[in-house]
Amino acid sequence: MWKIGDRLGGYEPGQFKQRFRMLFIIVSVALSLLVMRLWYLQVIKGDELRQRSENNSVRLRKIKPMRGLIMDEDRRVLVDNQPSFDIVFIPNRTKDIRKVIEKIKALYTERSLKFPALTSPSDRVKPFVPVLLERNISMEKLAVVETHALELPGVVTEVTPVRQYLNGEMTAQIIGFTGEVSREDLDRNIALHLAPGDMIGKFGIEKFLDDHLRGKNGAEQVEVNVAGKEVRSLGRIPAESGDNVVLTINSAIQEAAWTAIGNRAGAVAVLDPRSGAVLALVSSPSFDPNLFNGGISFDDWESLSNDPRHPMENRSISGQYPPGSTYKVVVAAAALEEGLITPETSFYCNGAFKMGDRTFRCWQEKGHGNVNLHRAIVESCDVYFYNLGKMLGVDRIAAYARAFGLGAPLGIDLNREKGGLIPTKQWKLSRLRQSWQMGETISIAIGQGYNLVTPIQLANVYAALANGGTLYRPRLIKQLESSDGHVVKVFQPEKQGVLPVRPENIKIINQALWGVVNEKGGTGYILKRQEQDVCGKTGTSQVIGLPQDEKARKAKRVSADFRDHALFVCFAPYGNPEIVVAVILEHAGHGGAAAAPVARKVIETYFTLKKMTPTQQQAQSAAEIRGIPKP
Amino acid sequence: MIKLDRRLILNFDWTLFILVLIISGIGLLNIYSTGFSLTDFRQTPLYIKQLQWILIGLVGMAVAFFIDYRFLSRHAYIIYGISIVLLLVVFTAGYATRGSQRWIAINGFTFQPSELVKLTIILALAKYFDHHQIGRGYHLTELLIPFTIVIIPFLFILKQPDLGTALVILILFLAMVFFVGLDWRSLLIAGAGGLVLTPIGWYFLKDYQKERILTFFGPERDPLGSGYHIIQSMIAVGSGGVFGKGFLKGSQTQLKFLPEQQTDFVFSVFAEEWGFLGGMILVAMFFSLILWGLKIMNHSRDYPGALIAFGITMLIFWEVFINIGMVLGILPVVGIPLPFLSYGGSSMVVLMTAIGVLMNISVRRFILQS
Repeated sequence: MWKIGDRLGGYEPGQFKQRFRMLFIIVSVALSLLVMRLWYLQVIKGDELRQRSENNSVRLRKIKPMRGLIMDEDRRVLVDNQPSFDIVFIPNRTKDIRKVIEKIKALYTERSLKFPALTSPSDRVKPFVPVLLERNISMEKLAVVETHALELPGVVTEVTPVRQYLNGEMTAQIIGFTGEVSREDLDRNIALHLAPGDMIGKFGIEKFLDDHLRGKNGAEQVEVNVAGKEVRSLGRIPAESGDNVVLTINSAIQEAAWTAIGNRAGAVAVLDPRSGAVLALVSSPSFDPNLFNGGISFDDWESLSNDPRHPMENRSISGQYPPGSTYKVVVAAAALEEGLITPETSFYCNGAFKMGDRTFRCWQEKGHGNVNLHRAIVESCDVYFYNLGKMLGVDRIAAYARAFGLGAPLGIDLNREKGGLIPTKQWKLSRLRQSWQMGETISIAIGQGYNLVTPIQLANVYAALANGGTLYRPRLIKQLESSDGHVVKVFQPEKQGVLPVRPENIKIINQALWGVVNEKGGTGYILKRQEQDVCGKTGTSQVIGLPQDEKARKAKRVSADFRDHALFVCFAPYGNPEIVVAVILEHAGHGGAAAAPVARKVIETYFTLKKMTPTQQQAQSAAEIRGIPKP
Repeated sequence: MIKLDRRLILNFDWTLFILVLIISGIGLLNIYSTGFSLTDFRQTPLYIKQLQWILIGLVGMAVAFFIDYRFLSRHAYIIYGISIVLLLVVFTAGYATRGSQRWIAINGFTFQPSELVKLTIILALAKYFDHHQIGRGYHLTELLIPFTIVIIPFLFILKQPDLGTALVILILFLAMVFFVGLDWRSLLIAGAGGLVLTPIGWYFLKDYQKERILTFFGPERDPLGSGYHIIQSMIAVGSGGVFGKGFLKGSQTQLKFLPEQQTDFVFSVFAEEWGFLGGMILVAMFFSLILWGLKIMNHSRDYPGALIAFGITMLIFWEVFINIGMVLGILPVVGIPLPFLSYGGSSMVVLMTAIGVLMNISVRRFILQS
């Protein structure tokens, strides 16, 4: 023991010098021991332990998680998982992946089967990480690989879940698809703990909610003997299934819109004006998301991405079109609010409007005669709105348009949403370096010129009018549920703003929209129902400016690519609107004739569904589509 | 109590401060690596939480630095008493994870009073031995009060059950007793008593604790059970080789086959990714830290200061030695965190505070006149 010495006489700094030396020795010895042990493990036995960690004895098997299901509003399953057989190579005994691939190719060619082209398989091959060779193989290929197992060392067939898109093209634009994680994604999102071979959402809801849908990889460490046979499991972390997603989409309405639009190019957006819930979102032409299941083939990808009709574009949120006459409600609201007109203010329409040396025509070449605001909307008189445009000026119109939610993305739950374009003087100056021409304002007032809106924006404008002035964020996601049925998150309506329009003015506009459908001479008269409950507005948007002379105008209507886009937006029922439908058909001609029938199908489907008793609905859904029970 | 003295700044112990910052920084990177591969995206990543704990720890350090350690020493029993009360709270309102009740939850943050007790025991023992200097080795009977000081929290913590912390407390007590000096006959009696009591103590251990100690002597005997930790840990460390597999590239770590890898086995993660070179540098840093602590002890201006500095240094030394020894398979697996590297708020905050006390003693040797 150490001496206590002369401590009683008072404390002397440095009196612990002896203890210090002693402790120094103890600490040095102890820590040297650790370093020596570290040396032993890492340097002397390093190679052996490294082998053990990576090579023969211990192998890692990834346990794939079950991706979450996607359901519609009524919990009908839109996307589920089905088993897929994959060929996997484990660089265990043989490390030359190329030889193995050559062998499989040779076996395939004997039976005239094709092996998909791999980009560069030799990269990223680690001794213990399985490499996916081919996904979702046919039974024939499976048989080939299984019967030649002995000639293919390290090749294993595995069963993994693969996405099945039950509605195919109909919901492809909303739901999207998954694909193998790309190298860029791997490098960019290192924090997402993704590994090569993992499937991630690439498009649509699959992409937007990928974090929730994907789930977590599990893993199992198995000990294998020299022959590569599994001896026992050393540890297992189970995979965690992803969350299920319930959308606001109603399959029946979606189907009605999809069928009505047929093979024409265009989009339909259906909203519940009371909450901003998106009931349907159709974009045509579409694509089959199931093509992506086994990794899309090169040919399929080429034809999809080079299709001049752009089937991969979700027109309902990223197609930008001139709003045409559907824009007139915004201009009317602006003029009323600014006190420039009263509902009784009338203008005379003789079919043309002169502005300097330019003549702007009304679509009704004979002219509408003397019209007030109500009739101007009902008959969609262009001259009336040329007058309003001249009075308001482009910037005041733009201010109102922005307050209606135009000119910027609405923030729907999908990627790639476009914002459209609401031009101002400043915009033209900075973007095109030209000053604004008064004549351009005249075109703007009837929704032509630089104006661009997306179908979902258009639906949202009318939803706000329908509900008395509230702008909601359009929502696609109703709720998230864990795989065992617990509700993880319920999404509530989100108010984004209030229209700067007084209730009495909204009422005036809505009455006119009612007239469009229900009054004689209304441009949407075709949609009139017995209940007289639909309000709407037609629109015809010019793809190129109307030629000045009559002959050219006639010729233009012949060529399909230069024909006008047909638009129709409506809501119903009049007193207490529950549904808003916006339809845009590309190059389809006049809105009332081409687009309104599509809207009519949607509205009728909605009210037929509503009239059905709950049991009838259930019976129908049970018969039609597989469903999973409520938790 | 708090005097803002210019000399506090002038003589600030930068060496100690920077050493601790570097070690904690290494720890943070390491935690980032452990949470890298399979974390739950819905939760805050562990490294962010650890960073928060480091920041809170720095506040604790600052507080401990500015309050004169003689004030702490004067009120050591009260501080000790408070920590014991907190320990009692764990029994009534404690929050249990993985079968043991160690945590108190305050506002979403969980706190482990047993970590705090490590520091308060040092303060209490230092005060006791300062007040009872006798100029010769203590007899066993004279150690009854310090023994009581230690045995109360020891039993509580053992009951939680937290074998590792209880062990650290016991080791701290023994170290302090050896430091102040023990009568040689008492030493013999205590040694003999220890030998007799060990089998009885064995009887009180929980099954899993017995299991751990047993498998320490033969880990390969039961590779699926409790030997799994040790084997996996040694494979991880060994596979790092001389230069390591590189940051975020440890396969054992990234594939999550190391259990408790953010907490008690955090060193194996480090050794796998940074190899022998990294491991040696880290051990060298701990060595410097411990030596620096001993130097502060040696230069302390008064007796309690020296005792406190010694206690804190020993706390760090033993935790480092036992933890790394356990990871390397030369000591049995007991739950002791690696200072500044293991994930865990209580340990981090308490150790940072203890470092604050050390710096406090270090700087006041220039201020206090002996």
